[in-house]
Amino acid sequence: MESLTPFANIETRRMGLRGVIHLASEVVAQYWPMRTFVHHNPLHNLEYLPFKETVIRGKQFLGGNGYLPSEFYRHYLRSGRIQSRHMETAVAPLARDEYTTIGLHRVSHGEVLCACLAEGLCTPVEEPLDARWEHDPYYQLDVAIANRLEAVLPSPDVDERVRGLVSCAQASLGRLMTLSHWCDQVLGSAIVDRINHELIKWCGGFLDEGHATWAMPEREQGLYLAWKALAAHEWSPCGISDSKRKIASLPNYPEDAVLESLDALGIPEDLRQDYLSLQLTALPGWTGFIKWRSEKCDYEWQQAYPVEAVEYLAIRLWYVRELVQQTCQQELGIAGTYQSVTDYMRQRSKEYFLRRERAASRLPAIYAEEVDRLQHQRAQGWDKLYERYQLDVAPRQLRVARHGAAKQLRSLALALQLDPATLMTTAPDKLACLVEWMKAFPESDHGPVWLKAFESGYQEQLLGALARSPAAQPPLNVEPGLERLHSQTVFCMDVRSEPFRRHLELSGANGTYGFAGFFAAFIRYRAWGKEHDTEQFPVIMRAKNEVREIPRSYHDPVVSKHTARTRMVYAGHTLLHDLKENVVTPYVMAESVGWFYGFPIIGKTFLPTLHGRLTSWLQRLFVPSIATTLTVDKLAPTETAEMLMAEQQTTIRQALQECTSLRSSQITLALVEALRQWALSDKSAPDAALLSVATPSKLSGETLNRFVTTLRQRYAITQRSASRKKERITRTGLTLDEQILTVGTALRMMGLTRQFARLVLFCAHGSTSENNPFESALDCGACGGNEGKPNARLLAMMANNQKVRERLAKTGLVIPSDTHFLAGQVDTTTDEVQLFDLEDAPPAHCADIARLIHDLNEASRRTSLERCSRFPDLTEPLPIPESIAHVHRRSADWSQVRPEWGLSSNASLVIGRRDLTKGVDLGGRVFLQSYDYREDPGGHLLEVLMIGPQVVAQWINMEHYFSTVDNEAYGSGSKIYHNVVGRVGIMSGPWSDLRLGLAQQTVMNGDVPYHEPMRLLSVIEAPREWIEKLIARHEVLRQFYHNEWVHLVVLEPEEGILYQYRPTGEWAKVDSGSGF
Amino acid sequence: MINSMLTPWLVVAVPLLGALLGVAVWSQPEKLKAWSVTVTLGSLLAVIVSFLTLTGSTEGLLFVLLLPLAASVSLLGQPVHQDHRLAWVGTLVFLGMGLGILTLPSPIGAIALTLLLGLITFVLYWHHDPFWGPSWVGIGTYGLGTLCAGIAAMTNSAIPSLLACMILLPLIPFHYGYVAALTRLPGSLSPFTVLLLPAIGLHKLAALIPAISEFETLPVIVLALSGALYGAIKALAQSRVRLLLAYGSLSFFSLLWWFVATSRNVSPQSAVFLGSLSLVTAGLLLAWQVIRTRYGDDVDPRAISGLAAQMPQFAVLISLLALAAMGLPPFGVFAGFMGLLFALPMTLSIAPFVVAIAWLAASWYILDLVQGLLFGHKRLELRYEDVRQSEFAALLIVVIIMFALGLAPTNLFEGAPRISGTGAIMEPVSWNR
Repeated sequence: MESLTPFANIETRRMGLRGVIHLASEVVAQYWPMRTFVHHNPLHNLEYLPFKETVIRGKQFLGGNGYLPSEFYRHYLRSGRIQSRHMETAVAPLARDEYTTIGLHRVSHGEVLCACLAEGLCTPVEEPLDARWEHDPYYQLDVAIANRLEAVLPSPDVDERVRGLVSCAQASLGRLMTLSHWCDQVLGSAIVDRINHELIKWCGGFLDEGHATWAMPEREQGLYLAWKALAAHEWSPCGISDSKRKIASLPNYPEDAVLESLDALGIPEDLRQDYLSLQLTALPGWTGFIKWRSEKCDYEWQQAYPVEAVEYLAIRLWYVRELVQQTCQQELGIAGTYQSVTDYMRQRSKEYFLRRERAASRLPAIYAEEVDRLQHQRAQGWDKLYERYQLDVAPRQLRVARHGAAKQLRSLALALQLDPATLMTTAPDKLACLVEWMKAFPESDHGPVWLKAFESGYQEQLLGALARSPAAQPPLNVEPGLERLHSQTVFCMDVRSEPFRRHLELSGANGTYGFAGFFAAFIRYRAWGKEHDTEQFPVIMRAKNEVREIPRSYHDPVVSKHTARTRMVYAGHTLLHDLKENVVTPYVMAESVGWFYGFPIIGKTFLPTLHGRLTSWLQRLFVPSIATTLTVDKLAPTETAEMLMAEQQTTIRQALQECTSLRSSQITLALVEALRQWALSDKSAPDAALLSVATPSKLSGETLNRFVTTLRQRYAITQRSASRKKERITRTGLTLDEQILTVGTALRMMGLTRQFARLVLFCAHGSTSENNPFESALDCGACGGNEGKPNARLLAMMANNQKVRERLAKTGLVIPSDTHFLAGQVDTTTDEVQLFDLEDAPPAHCADIARLIHDLNEASRRTSLERCSRFPDLTEPLPIPESIAHVHRRSADWSQVRPEWGLSSNASLVIGRRDLTKGVDLGGRVFLQSYDYREDPGGHLLEVLMIGPQVVAQWINMEHYFSTVDNEAYGSGSKIYHNVVGRVGIMSGPWSDLRLGLAQQTVMNGDVPYHEPMRLLSVIEAPREWIEKLIARHEVLRQFYHNEWVHLVVLEPEEGILYQYRPTGEWAKVDSGSGF
Repeated sequence: MINSMLTPWLVVAVPLLGALLGVAVWSQPEKLKAWSVTVTLGSLLAVIVSFLTLTGSTEGLLFVLLLPLAASVSLLGQPVHQDHRLAWVGTLVFLGMGLGILTLPSPIGAIALTLLLGLITFVLYWHHDPFWGPSWVGIGTYGLGTLCAGIAAMTNSAIPSLLACMILLPLIPFHYGYVAALTRLPGSLSPFTVLLLPAIGLHKLAALIPAISEFETLPVIVLALSGALYGAIKALAQSRVRLLLAYGSLSFFSLLWWFVATSRNVSPQSAVFLGSLSLVTAGLLLAWQVIRTRYGDDVDPRAISGLAAQMPQFAVLISLLALAAMGLPPFGVFAGFMGLLFALPMTLSIAPFVVAIAWLAASWYILDLVQGLLFGHKRLELRYEDVRQSEFAALLIVVIIMFALGLAPTNLFEGAPRISGTGAIMEPVSWNR
């Protein structure tokens, strides 16, 4: 019992630490690998906090700004995008009922705040200590005002400043600042950078997913043990002496190593969570990916090379502890612990102050030089230098501060349209009051006010348009027109579908619907000839079924040719890749075949469209395309067994060829089957039947025995493996009930339950782009960053199934017999629509299909024209043919950083009938989810929409928001410097954190935002009562609306009135003329 | 003959008279600056007009042309501020005295040199900062220089002359005066003296070096090579821009000392090298003045970043100056250096390594400085304003001169041959690039 106690204690400590790390990693968002790029809120885990507070936490841990720089908002104000009245409304809650006077003019507190916002009066400007500009026409006036302020503005005492600084630093240490940050901030060391550099190296090597030619060894052991095994071979990493011994003496459990390092650094228990958060957020990209991997236990790379945040921290903290110790000892002669550092700040505060000012480049150069000298010579002149600073620099700083305040006052007078000279007739205490008001409203507080004003403008415009819609007026038009539509097309709810839908509706008698692009089909899909599955559903959901693409039966003769040619192409690619990556061959390669690359380079650069067409023609020529279908229905048990048997027989046939010298003519089906049976059985020796069939092939009993062992061990021909495969095969396809449920749910959710047209098209979306590591970001987010084609095909096939229709009819959803469902996909970069499985369409529908194709083409042309009008790089409007050519060129151009540029500018979500928005140009900014509350008596479908599509829309919206407001912290910077790393993400340049979010070119147009960063506005057409119930039921909805992540407006159907849901849970009637 | 006797006096009189007349607009800084610039341009015109009648030493007449230009750009690059008035007038006075030293015959030139060094000593003392210790050593060095120049003027002795040369064209351990002048002299005086003093030093050395024996040049070579290394290492360690430029240029001046002492000759290529080096240092000082004007006299360079996007004109000009200062073609430093290198016999010694180290170090510290200023994040608390017209003109002129010095043939700057006391004509060194 006694021996168990320490063990239990250690285990308890480890468990406790894991809990702390779990909480500490909240601030880090998961990082999805780039092949399935998922738009998400980078601060998603903090959505339980109000938006404003989360922004502060983001700044604290990730260093990111939560709002645009004020100069952008001022630009919007000047351009009219932000109205003055919106700004005044937004500032009203902050304005106090106080007044002062400038000369004879009465000025309110609110007026001053508005002037601060509009004119940037509170922008922190570093006034030079020795100003040499005398060009300013107000220079003399500023000097005179500054003199008047001398008596009323308090002169800050340097000692007091130092005391404040010390207490602030003590409070921040551990919470906002690590010990390594402290060393960098005070001693000018670069510990954080050095550690990041090391960690990037280890993470990049370990987390590689087949990109590296030479993979990192020892990865099977996990990150920590692999590092421990390899880092010990490095010579003095980061200049840490005796590193080999130190690393070898580290514990084998990462939890123990973390605890040991935290103890060595002396981090108090109550600070550990924040301290670990700070360590994790030093490289939020890599840690985000580690977090994602550690939560995806079934991910093949995670299974092969496991990694967890605790391992990352164990490594990082070892570097921290060693380097902090070394730096503190060398520079200050103190131990590198929390306690020693706080003692140092308190006891040697003057030295601390001067060192800190020096490291921040705030000292005049001559003082900086003296600090360097004292530092270098370990001299004792700190107090003397500090006294001199007090005598020399502090008065200059005071003078400058007064001059700055005078400038601010003069700018305020001008902003209020007053003569600045009146300031000379204003009493100094009134001037001081004005200065105080401005000081109390620093620019860092302007963001929330600006954002509110910014959002109000857009909301007013959208809600006004919706309120004016005839469909919004009660009583609702219960019976739609009697004329049957030519077609109905269901698009993804994505904002990019909105212009296409509008144009398709204008092209003819076509109705459109919006629905999440995975069309309620939660499937894992494997395309024909591919080795990996794609997950065709939102990342917040789970797969239910698997669907495979298989060739249509009439294509059997072509399939083998297709497969063989595909293999040849693959082999060619592999060979070329291997030659390129080999140590020696590239030297020969460059000379021998390097010139060959000149053709594609010239083609891609100068004739991208033609090059694209030519290569795809060549591809088709060499690898003939085949028509395919999907495995929609579940297989019967006998079919499953047959399929499994066929698969096993093929494997055994290959194994016989590889492991024995038998020719294929000698391998008979009987032999293969006998071997299969034996491998699956428990028998250890061959039976007589097997020996008899093996006789012609001249295989001895011993050979057969060995071969069967090989089959079991290497080729997994065992009963257990067979069961697993069988289980997997049974997941393929959907049962009839599942099909009925999927089709019925989808149609009811989108409100398509009556008046079916002869053709209903489920139109997914995908994209085409070149040289774009994040091409999946252009694909369908609802399909897990993949094309939605499989989902559309699957739903159409299921909806065409007569059995499904019959059963649906029994539930009240009657689909006319002449209605045929089609699948298609729109390419969002070229605006072209491709239709699938046309061979399944009844001949009677040929004319309808031809008409639909015509209308789709027309809509495609008009959409291209509209998109071209939005590209800022096109200064003049293009005619339609040129527009089409232009969008095609963009999609094929490998130097194009914005092949599509459609998702940026998203701003709101409308869940309601299309009639509400029909005919309104929403500018491609609105997610449109079709929903008819009359088809959903209990509000159950609405519940799914609010916690499904709305969450996806919010993630997309927030990804764009944060990538725009601070692209360096939350976005991924310029595309120009992007480099793919480990096939999982991108780095900026050759060495950086995994970059989060969207590229600068995606959200910015040059230096100004292209995307208008606003929080999502959800407009829902449904009774408020239902929505209240749903909010009460779902935590995620409460977080959205109460914490102001999403603005909710409800169109009360029976009243035709818009209501805003306030964070307090109350409803406020929206005045559609002036917004909120 | 009368004409050629009077011409130098005319050249000297223009700036000195200009300085005197400038007092009339003393209370109007803007006008005073404009007047001072006009005077330097008048001075340049006077030099050009009398170019063919001026006699040159072996290093040619390049400095006589460059001095008014340097004075002009030094003045143009300063902001209009009443504190700078004395420096502007001082620049004109220094220009007059400098032209006098370069063109007037002995002993007037030697007396002028004594006066100039004395004046600089006084100005340094006037601007002395007790907090900065090395300034005393600088004042002392120029005091010694004044003494040496005075003795040399009276006795024609070689040692005091050589010492004066070492102080003017800085060589360790007499470099403190130069460092102090570069860092402590106010306004336009600092960039102007970067050319003025070394040019006078080389001019004096040209007359002196043939008289020094090979044995006597050995310590000079040792000092020169040590100085090149010392200057490079000190420059690498500096955090203040003016000190960095002072030590950087000291390193290159030491290389020039090595060339002169090894070849025991001052060629026109030496003048091109010195003129280019001094001018580019002056250009970088003016570029730094642009920063000081905006962000304070004693601003820490690490506090400034992201100028490339915010001040594009400035960024282009300082980048060109940096390229010139690092000794890249087609600028004058490269051309002068190559001219000197090809004139030397190829021997295996430690000198080429020292030269290489000094060169590589220069590429490091200059690039580091410029990179730090131009790139990095835009700092929201800084007010960015690109160069104004006069600043732009000053920097552009320096770049153009650097370009011209890199491409123009050396013999273009050779004036009328000086007739020595014995009647022998000094043989001009031919163009050998």
